[in-house]
Amino acid sequence: MDKLQRMIKGKIPGEATGIEVRRSVCTICDPSGICGLDCYVKDGRIIKVEGTLENPNNGGTLCSKGAAQRQWVYHEDRLRTPLKRVGPRGSGEMKPISWTEALDAVAGNLQRLKAESGPESVVFYCGYPKQPRPFLQRLALEFGSPNYCTESSACFTAMAMSWRLDYGQMAGPDIANTKCLLVWSGNPFYASTPNARRLMDARDRGVKFIVIDPRKSPIAGIADLHLRLRPGTDGALALAMANVIISEGLYDRQFVSEWSRGFDGYRALAAEYGLERTEQITGVPAALIREAALLYATSKPAAMMPSSTPVVHHTNGVQNQRAAAALVGLTGNFDIPGGNVPQSFSWLEVSGAGFTTREHEFAMPRAWDDMPPRLGAERFPVWTRMIDQGQAMDLPRQIATGEPYPLRGMVGFGMNHRLWPDSNGLMAAVDKLDFVCVVDLFLTDTAKHADIVLPACSSVERSELRCYPQKYAILTRPVIEPLGEARSDTDIIIGLVQKLGLDDPLLNPAGSGAGGPGRGFLPNGAPDFGEVFDDALDWILQPSDVTITELKKHPAGMPVPKPLPVAFKKYEKKGFPTPSGKMEFASSLLEEQAGCSGFDPLPVYNEPRLSPVSTPDIAGEYPLVLNTGPRLPMFIHSRTFRLPWTRSLRRDAAADLDPATARNLGVAQGDRIEVSTSTGSIQVLANLTELAHPGTVHMFHDYPEADVNSLLQGDYLDPISGFPGYKAALCAVKKVAPAASPTEEVRQ
Amino acid sequence: MSHAFYLDVDRCTGCFACAVACMDQNDLEVETESIAWRQVFPITLGEGPDARLRYISLACMHCEDAPCLMACPTGAIARETGTRVVKVRSEFCIGCHSCSIACPFGVPRFGKDGTMQKCDLCSVRLENGLDPACVRVCPTKALRQGDPNDLGLEVGRKAAERFAGP
Repeated sequence: MDKLQRMIKGKIPGEATGIEVRRSVCTICDPSGICGLDCYVKDGRIIKVEGTLENPNNGGTLCSKGAAQRQWVYHEDRLRTPLKRVGPRGSGEMKPISWTEALDAVAGNLQRLKAESGPESVVFYCGYPKQPRPFLQRLALEFGSPNYCTESSACFTAMAMSWRLDYGQMAGPDIANTKCLLVWSGNPFYASTPNARRLMDARDRGVKFIVIDPRKSPIAGIADLHLRLRPGTDGALALAMANVIISEGLYDRQFVSEWSRGFDGYRALAAEYGLERTEQITGVPAALIREAALLYATSKPAAMMPSSTPVVHHTNGVQNQRAAAALVGLTGNFDIPGGNVPQSFSWLEVSGAGFTTREHEFAMPRAWDDMPPRLGAERFPVWTRMIDQGQAMDLPRQIATGEPYPLRGMVGFGMNHRLWPDSNGLMAAVDKLDFVCVVDLFLTDTAKHADIVLPACSSVERSELRCYPQKYAILTRPVIEPLGEARSDTDIIIGLVQKLGLDDPLLNPAGSGAGGPGRGFLPNGAPDFGEVFDDALDWILQPSDVTITELKKHPAGMPVPKPLPVAFKKYEKKGFPTPSGKMEFASSLLEEQAGCSGFDPLPVYNEPRLSPVSTPDIAGEYPLVLNTGPRLPMFIHSRTFRLPWTRSLRRDAAADLDPATARNLGVAQGDRIEVSTSTGSIQVLANLTELAHPGTVHMFHDYPEADVNSLLQGDYLDPISGFPGYKAALCAVKKVAPAASPTEEVRQ
Repeated sequence: MSHAFYLDVDRCTGCFACAVACMDQNDLEVETESIAWRQVFPITLGEGPDARLRYISLACMHCEDAPCLMACPTGAIARETGTRVVKVRSEFCIGCHSCSIACPFGVPRFGKDGTMQKCDLCSVRLENGLDPACVRVCPTKALRQGDPNDLGLEVGRKAAERFAGP
C-alpha cells in the first residue's frame, strides 16, 4: 500500500486525501451540554467522527453512542420521505408521499380540529432532540393550544422544581472549586460523559466523594463513602443527615436565621429520623450515615451533584429531592464558590453560559391565562404553577375521559411512548385520536401509530445553536446534505407556521398563508428557511453580545463575548426568588396548595407507594423492588438499539440482579427470566452483577421486545410533579428457561 | 520512539467509548462484540457488600518480544520500523490461529475471510500527529499512548503528588 492509500485508509484529513473535518454537534443523547462533533467528510459522506478538541464541554472526547454516529446517520432504516399510513394504527403499513401532500394533510387536519373542537384539542409534543423545543412551543401557542409538552414530563424537571421550591432556582455544583462532592444518585460516567474527566480530575485533586446510590455504579466505585440505600428512601436519608448536622451544631446558623423560612418545623421533622430508625428504613449503616453527614457538613466548601431522574422517579420524588437539596442551604453551601451556584438561564436548558436570551418571550407568544387549562392542570397544580409546559403524563387520562375537554390531535417530534408508565395504555389512548403526526428519523414503534410521519434530519444535517456553562456557544451548519428528503425539525415547524398562515413576524415574515417558501430551495427540494431560522435566532440572542454573524465565523464554536460576570451570594442583594424571598425549608407554594392537594410544605418522607414496607401484602406476591431505566453506557432510551456497533455491546434485553438474590431464586447468569408485576410481565435474560442492589431488579427501559415501563400502572406518579415512580415499584422474578443459546450472553 | 498504550485502571469506567471509536476508525463490521479489536471487561473482585467492580479496556499490547510474531508461520505478523507497532498483513495470513494460541491477552480476531485482524495502534494517525481513536475518545482520559518510559514518568509524578499529600 503506498503512503497516500495508507493515509486514506487511516482517514487522515488533508488536501491529499480529500478528507475534510467539518464541525457539528452530537445530539444522539441530549443532556444540557451536548458534545462538539468533528465529522471527517470525504466526497460528501462522513467516514469517521471524533469529539471536537476546542469544545470546552467534551474536549475532544465522545461516548460510545456518539462514536457510533455514522451508523445512526446512515442507518438503512432512516426515513427518506414523508409517509402516510395505509394500514391500521400501529401496523407500520405506510406509503411514501410528497412533502406538499404531507404538510397539506397536517395543516388541513389541524385547521379542521381547531374549527371543530378548538385549538386546545391538539397536543404538541417534543421528545429528542431538544433543539426544536422553543420553536414548537411557539407554534403550539400561536395555533392557540396550551398543550405543549415534552419528554421533560419524566426527566429533569421534577429535580429542578424541587430546588425551585426550596430556593426559587436550581443551583448546580461548582466542581472545580469544591472540596467535597455529594453525588446524590445518578451515574454521570454513563449519563453525562463530558463531565467524566472533570470528576476524575476532582478526585485526583483530593476532593472527597460521597455517593448516594443503590447500585455499585462506576461513580460509587470512586467514592470515599458510598451510601447504598434502598431505592426510594432518599428523603429519609437526607433528613437523617440533616438531623446529625443540626444536632451536632454543624449547620450555618447565620444563613439559617437570616435567610431561611420554616427551619423549626424542618428541625423537628429531621429529628424524627434518628440514625437507627433511618438505618432500618434505608438499609444504610447508621455509622455511615453519620460519617457522610459530618464529611459533607465539615468540608468547606462542599457541593451537591443532583441528577435528572433517580431521586425524582419516585412517588415521593419531589419531597425526597427537596430534602436532599435542603442540605445545601443548611450547611451554608448555597451560592458560594465550591458550593451550589445558581446561574441565569441562557438557552435550551443551559444556564450560566454567560449571556441571556429572549427564549422565554420567543416560546411564549401568548399567556397561559389566555388559553384553556393545560394538560395536567387540575391533577398536577404545582407543576402547572411552576412549569411552562403541560404535564404529558396526564395525556392518556385526558384522551380517555375527555375532561376537562376532548383531545383529538397530536403532533409529536421525536416522541417515544415507552417513556410513559403503562406505555401500551398510552398508545391505546393515542389510537383514539382523530389525527396523529410524528416527526422522527426512523419509523419508530410510536411513529407506526401516526397518520403522517415526517422524516427529520440528524444533527449533522441541520443547523442549531447551542451553548455551554464554560461561556461558549456554537452555531452549527449542515456538514452533509440531508438524507433523502429529510428536513430539520425547525424547518418543519417553520413550514407548518407558514402553511397554517399563523401571524408570526419571525417565522412567517412574509405573512403568506400559502406556505410561502424561504429564499429558494435546498438541494433535496425543501424550501430554504435558513434565513428565517438565523433571523429568529438573532432576535432571540438580542439581549446578548452573541450574534449569528460572529458565530458563523467560528464553525467549532467560540467563547461568549463579554460574558456576564459570575457572582456569589446573590441573595444578599436580591433575596431568593421564592414567595418569601428566603430559602424555604417549608415551601410557601406547597402551603398554598396544601388545602386542595394535601401537600406538606416540609420535605416529608413517604415510602414508595409500592414497597415491602408500604404494601407488605402486595410484596408477598411481588417481593422484589423494580427499578427501571438505570443507564447502560451504550444506549440512550431507544436511540442506539438499532446500531450494530452499540447493540453488539449488549445484544439482549437483560435485567441486572445481584448474585445472592439470584441464587435464592434459582437463577443463573444468562437464564431467561420472567419479570412480572400486577400489571403484566416481560421475559429477559438475567445478568448477575454485584452492581445491583440486593433485592432489586434493575432493568433498562425501552426495549420493544421487553418494555419494562409497560409493567407500571399509568397512575404510578408523584402527585406533585407527575413524574413516574420508575425507580421503585414491586415485581417478581421467576426462571423460565436456563441459559442455552450462546448468542444469549450478557457481557455488561 | 516506541509506542504503547497505557490504561489508568482507576479511571476506566467501562463506558465502551474506546471500543466503538475503534470500530468507527477501522470500519469494523461488528455484529457481535467478540469481533471488536478493543475489548472492555467488567471485573468483579470479591462478593456481597464488599464486592468491588473494576473495568479494564484491552487491545493489542504491541509486545516488544511479541509471542504472536514468533508463532506466525508465514511472517504475516511483523513489527513496523519507527513506531515499533506489531502489525498483521492479512494477505500473508493463512488463518492457522497460531497467534491466538500464543497471545497471552487474547487479542487476535478473525473476520469473515478467516484471516487475523487486530489493533495497529492507529499507526497512520500516530505518524500524522494524531492519537489513536480509542485514546482520543476516552471520556475520562484513562487510555493514553506514548513512549512507555514517558508514560511511566507521568504515573510516577502522580504517585509523587500523592506522597507529598494534599
